Amino acid sequence: MIQAQRLNKHFKIYETKKGFIGSFTSLLSSKHHIVKAVDDISFSVEEGEFVGYIGPNGAGKSTTIKMLSGILHPTSGEIKVGGLSPQKKRKEVAKKIGIVFGQRTQLWWDLPLRDSFDILKEMYKVPDEKYRQFLRLYDDMLQIGKFMDTPVRKLSLGQRMRGDLAAAMIHNPDILFLDEPTIGLDVNAKTSIRAFLKELNQNEKKTILLTTHDMDDIELLCSRVIVINHGKIVLDGTLEDLRKNIGLPSVMEVQYRVKPNTTEIQLEGIERMTWEYEKLVIDYDRSLLSSPLLLQNVTQWGEPVDIQMKEPDIEQVIQKIY
Amino acid sequence: MNLYLKLLSGSLRSRMQYKMNFLVSSLSYGLIMAVDFVLLAAILQRFDDVKGWNLYEVGLLYGISSVAITLYRVFCVEVHNFERYMVEGEFDSLLIRPVSPLSLLLTKNIDLSRIGGTIQGILILVISIIGLKLNNVELFLLLIYLPVTIVSGVLICFSLGLITATIAFWTQRIKDFQTFTLYAPFNAANYPMNIYPGWLKIIFFTVIPVGFMNYTPILFLLNKGGDLWNLALPPVVGIIFLCISLCFWKFGIRHYHSTGS
Repeated sequence: MIQAQRLNKHFKIYETKKGFIGSFTSLLSSKHHIVKAVDDISFSVEEGEFVGYIGPNGAGKSTTIKMLSGILHPTSGEIKVGGLSPQKKRKEVAKKIGIVFGQRTQLWWDLPLRDSFDILKEMYKVPDEKYRQFLRLYDDMLQIGKFMDTPVRKLSLGQRMRGDLAAAMIHNPDILFLDEPTIGLDVNAKTSIRAFLKELNQNEKKTILLTTHDMDDIELLCSRVIVINHGKIVLDGTLEDLRKNIGLPSVMEVQYRVKPNTTEIQLEGIERMTWEYEKLVIDYDRSLLSSPLLLQNVTQWGEPVDIQMKEPDIEQVIQKIY
Repeated sequence: MNLYLKLLSGSLRSRMQYKMNFLVSSLSYGLIMAVDFVLLAAILQRFDDVKGWNLYEVGLLYGISSVAITLYRVFCVEVHNFERYMVEGEFDSLLIRPVSPLSLLLTKNIDLSRIGGTIQGILILVISIIGLKLNNVELFLLLIYLPVTIVSGVLICFSLGLITATIAFWTQRIKDFQTFTLYAPFNAANYPMNIYPGWLKIIFFTVIPVGFMNYTPILFLLNKGGDLWNLALPPVVGIIFLCISLCFWKFGIRHYHSTGS
């Protein structure tokens, strides 16, 4: 469904100066350096796969997605999406893919959700009967019916994201590119969106490429993970392959009444312990050390007043792959 | 066509969401235009002859030029404000649709508050044509030809606007360029081209061809020189310039950099 071969995207970064003369000279000057946002990557995604595409900020995730969807032209390399080049056949490819950018809505900001859908229906030339089916189906799956007549700017972030997801599916594309669809959402909203994506993938056999900063998204949804860092693929495999590399990274924060003396502690699975005054931050690997066992130990070291479980930063996780 | 209407009505309804803002901006534009008009009349009253062109003849040039640029400002507002799409990375959302980004831009919005300028231009045209006291044949020819010169003017203006917008693919910002490629040339085209020094005339008949829009055909229509070719040139130049600008635009899209997220 998706093929990328020896894909490169280099950006020339010019020194920009202010004002008319400045922008003109910077246009002509040769003072620049080249940033390899995507550096010779190849991968292919088969029909029905759910692929997590992860990496730290600035690793090249968004750049890749923008090239796959035809927004950017690669410096070199070949892309095929649904058998077509998104650069040469942008409009045909646009009909086969649905795109959601978590950071930026594709809906008409000041119009009711329904109007956005009407415009998109016209744009993708969706027949009336198909459109009615779509509305019924997506009201079932995402409960968008309740806020169909509310202007988009008045929707909550979770409602807006559900609207954006539905809007991306209006022409029933086979391929979905999701760029951080769960960013900034609360737990409930994340859960309902994950359930929806799971259903799309399993029942409707949609091929999905997802970028995220949330490890839970990856663990609950993706059958395959591609990890990218500094524009290069550092891992491409199943969830199990990722586990072998990084284990089950977790973070526990313990607030003690009095800072205990814990210099002697040695527990298999603990990767790092850092003190912030009376607060201890423990990075540990859940595949080696179970959380209940760690909890037991933590209470023995001193008198905890508060214990919190935290999600690890994806940045930290990716460092371990080397 | 259906899509065009849907998009336009959408953008108008978006505008109407902020009713006060719409009313105030329409009113203020109308006021600016009125002041502008009074100023021009005052100036032309003092200098009743500009290098062989009288008040009404200059009024004809002025009317055509201002109708052309204000129509562009009404219907191509998003092309004119293209900088925003580069700076905020909004251009991405135009490229993911199965429609050309240029048609999405043109349908995204129309700026009705600028229509005051068009009405002012038409008013000047009417006053000038009455004041010129042409004979029937001349009047008939002029009225027939007026739409052609206005359409040519809009084409030239749109092409200049699109070329300037395309520059944004490299420079991000274009507001400074627009002064040189749009505002200044169209202000200059309010007056007869023969008042300008040679190097400026060369520019206005080559890279920024605003001279063709009104000066060339009016020269012939008012029996000031030239031949029938003067009437054929404006639409020809307009169409050629449009093709050039579209090619440049396509070339620019290939160099779109997007923004990081």
